Amino acid sequence: MKKISSVLFVLSLGMEVYGQHAVHADTTRRLEEVHVNALVKKRIENEMKMAVSVDEFLASSDNISFIKRGAYAWEPLLNNMGSERSAITIDGMHIFGACTDKMDPVTSYVESNNLSAIDIRSGQEGSMHGATVAGSIDLKRKSTPFGLQKRIGGTYQSGFEFNNKQFFNLGNVYYSDEKFVADGSIAFRKAGNYADGNNHEVVHSQYNKFNASLGLAYKTSPLSSVRVDAIFDRAKDVGFPALPMDLWLSRAIITSASYKQLFEAGLVKAWDTKVYFNAVEHYMDDTTRPENLVHMDMPGWSTTYGLISKANVKKGRYTAEIQLNAYDNLSIAEMRMYPQDRSKQTMFAYSWPWVTTRVASIATNNSWEISDRSRVNLGASLGWNYNYSKYVEFNWIFYPGAPQQKSRLLPGAHASYELGINKFDFSVGTGFGHRAPSVSEAYGYYIYNSFDRYDYIGNPDMENEISYEANASAVFKMERFSIATKANYFYIKNYIIGRILSLGSPMNYQSVGVKGYTSLDYATLFNMAFDVKYKVLNNLDWKAVLTYARGRDDHGGNLPFIRPLSYQTSLTYTYKKMGLHTSLQGDFSQTHYSPEYGEDQTGAYKIWNISADYKFNVGKLDLLFQAGAENLFNAYYSTYADWGNIPRMGRNIFTSLKINF
Amino acid sequence: MNVNLLLRTIHVYVFVMCVCFCSCTKEKTDYEGERETVVEEKAEFKVVESIGVSNYLIHIEALNGTLYRGYNEIRLRILNNQTKSPVQVAAVTLLPIQTAPTGEKSTCPHQYVLDYKPDGEYFAGYTVFTAESGSTGNWVLSISFTVENQTYSLIKEIQVQPQTNKNLNMASFIGSDNEQYVIALVAPHKPNVSENKLVAGIYKANKRIDLPANDPLGQSLFFYTAVEGYTLQLDPRMPEPSMGNHSSPNNKDLTQGGDGLYHGIVNYTMTGNWTLNFILLDDKGKTIRGTEVPKDFTPGVQGHKSELYIDILF
Repeated sequence: MKKISSVLFVLSLGMEVYGQHAVHADTTRRLEEVHVNALVKKRIENEMKMAVSVDEFLASSDNISFIKRGAYAWEPLLNNMGSERSAITIDGMHIFGACTDKMDPVTSYVESNNLSAIDIRSGQEGSMHGATVAGSIDLKRKSTPFGLQKRIGGTYQSGFEFNNKQFFNLGNVYYSDEKFVADGSIAFRKAGNYADGNNHEVVHSQYNKFNASLGLAYKTSPLSSVRVDAIFDRAKDVGFPALPMDLWLSRAIITSASYKQLFEAGLVKAWDTKVYFNAVEHYMDDTTRPENLVHMDMPGWSTTYGLISKANVKKGRYTAEIQLNAYDNLSIAEMRMYPQDRSKQTMFAYSWPWVTTRVASIATNNSWEISDRSRVNLGASLGWNYNYSKYVEFNWIFYPGAPQQKSRLLPGAHASYELGINKFDFSVGTGFGHRAPSVSEAYGYYIYNSFDRYDYIGNPDMENEISYEANASAVFKMERFSIATKANYFYIKNYIIGRILSLGSPMNYQSVGVKGYTSLDYATLFNMAFDVKYKVLNNLDWKAVLTYARGRDDHGGNLPFIRPLSYQTSLTYTYKKMGLHTSLQGDFSQTHYSPEYGEDQTGAYKIWNISADYKFNVGKLDLLFQAGAENLFNAYYSTYADWGNIPRMGRNIFTSLKINF
Repeated sequence: MNVNLLLRTIHVYVFVMCVCFCSCTKEKTDYEGERETVVEEKAEFKVVESIGVSNYLIHIEALNGTLYRGYNEIRLRILNNQTKSPVQVAAVTLLPIQTAPTGEKSTCPHQYVLDYKPDGEYFAGYTVFTAESGSTGNWVLSISFTVENQTYSLIKEIQVQPQTNKNLNMASFIGSDNEQYVIALVAPHKPNVSENKLVAGIYKANKRIDLPANDPLGQSLFFYTAVEGYTLQLDPRMPEPSMGNHSSPNNKDLTQGGDGLYHGIVNYTMTGNWTLNFILLDDKGKTIRGTEVPKDFTPGVQGHKSELYIDILF
């Protein structure tokens, strides 16, 4: 445990620590004593399938589930809460999708081969990067350490998936010397329509993605470095079977420049400052859907500038992180409808009327080791959130006299206590935090949601959503066997959700009515996971996870998008250079669904996956070949979070080859 | 640490960033500019006609120097022909008269006695031209004014142009009480996707006036007056079939204000064609004209219009 923590800490400080031969030994020796909270950080790979997408990877985490509108760009739900309730960042950088329908979550703008890990923190522990209710998902970029023995290296991976004829190529290279590091990655994925469990083609489920990244780092002194990073992502011709339109093009550029300084003496051990800029453009297209009554354009743009400055402090048994965040985002989304007679005047409105969001926040996480067995963590954050709607007259149509600008204070705090007794680890924690309504919730204007088929209207005057949470976990660990259970409970005041408005009439022709974002008095959410690991033999591992969640509104009704009781179990067998994996996953029938919020009952399903891999060498190259099948028995199913009950993929045979050089 | 290097790196980086990102794939809509091309706002009063009478020069002024079918604000400036300075004038009247090809004469809603506006040194009133000049007839303005106890009068032929701004459209009809009515939109000239203050003039032809015996027209005319205490119920909808009879919330029926005009609120949720469906109720709540329109959302069906409506576009 100690060892893992310190390794993680070194990682989080930055790879530059390695290879600084002059100070290396000294620095690491000191850092070895450092403990940080046990982070839920995962490498981007799971045993089942090595060429996973970011979405597939996240899906293997206990507290993540997804809303799916097709085969691409799934919206991650953390603790069964939507992306507006969690802080989703890339290396702490805030990025906001440019699609009003959340068709481009942040996770869709990265690729698995430019990430090293994903840091998921539940609840207020995730408030370091900004105000949150559900927690934070931080996508960690790959960054090669200075002064590796092998100066140049890389990975190339290619594969084919038979169900949707997905062909992908992922490549990484790095250069590393004492003073300079360069990282580059490139990825192509192209997939056709997939077929469901009845072997029917699901039309408009194709996608085409290109992603490239470049990072350059220079060591300015033995203890300091500068780094610039850029990711370019382009998705084209992406189908959304659950929507009446597809994506023609989305592009994102995500850039940052950072300066990092380590200190050998004193309280502050590391200081890391970064400025960043990212721009996203997203253009929906309905010309592929001739059945549509109306042709419309729905372009969106989102531009963010920001600053992060972070210091790590350590003294004796006390460690702390202090982080300052500031960013400015401008979100614009337009809709233009064309009349049947195209020579006539088009109809135009902003679905995001040039909304500026400015945020400044300071957050700190402190941890004291009171004894060898116990630790106390305390954290606090304070944020300032400012919104400005340039064309506020759009918002006045439903909320006459709403202010054009609004400032909010977003305080948050959390505390936890961890105790280890013999083979048991216990923790209890509590926290509270505010979040501001998202751009759509506050300023959205006739945003069509094809899940419940309502047009959504934002309300600029809503109160902050306030979350009070409690969490606890217990772990019993033996050499070959471990069993863990964790649970959290959220009481969320002013819970924001769409409710039917008696005002106005739909604008989008598929729509059945108008819903306005409103605050419920409160809502409650309970999440629980149960985790078992057993090393049956030295080369045979068994794992099982059971998750349960329950979400209720202030009248005891069900909240939407709460995962039914679900399970995941897997067996991994390794023999010499061979690996065999099999897993079974499924959801029980959704009993607590919410017709009020547009849900119908989804039945139980289970799917079975198998795969095998083999490692071998060709000359100096390490090769890994993998083949397998997902949904081996070709089950026909859709999950509780599939929009439009679009069936999921049927049997999918996948193959891939990975070459390390 | 080497601050210079850091700064240099950041400079290079910012430069590269700027080069990459100055342009988007699709341009953002120039929202304000685009509406400019649909609705040309005429904000300036210009001279329509200048007439010399005796020692005086009369300027007739209107927005953009043009008179349009519908509601027109009119200003008269009476100047001394030599000094070009305003003169002390009393009792300025204005009477628009249409002569149909048959020779029949009629007038339209207007303000007969103009108000003096001391700050601008002009006389102000309005005229609602019910038709443009042309096949339906020609228009003259009969103007009279009194200076130093002497009354001057004149008649000037004017050109009434078709209304180019649909937001100033008008409707004329015979109500259930068999009276002739005119409803003319006065404002907004240029609506926004927002809450708009909707102003209309509602007039009834109900008074026959006899012109002075010495009037060159030598005839009696129907005179229009603004109706008192009526209500104009409003239901704005987008008629385009694809919009499925879309409407907007928070609209307010038009009721009479202190200025005699009718004021209400219309919300336009997007640009394009809108139909203002009206029901006109008299001061006793009796329907003069207009029918309820369906409220259902009916995609693919051309919107039904009330029997009394005005189409607008912005």
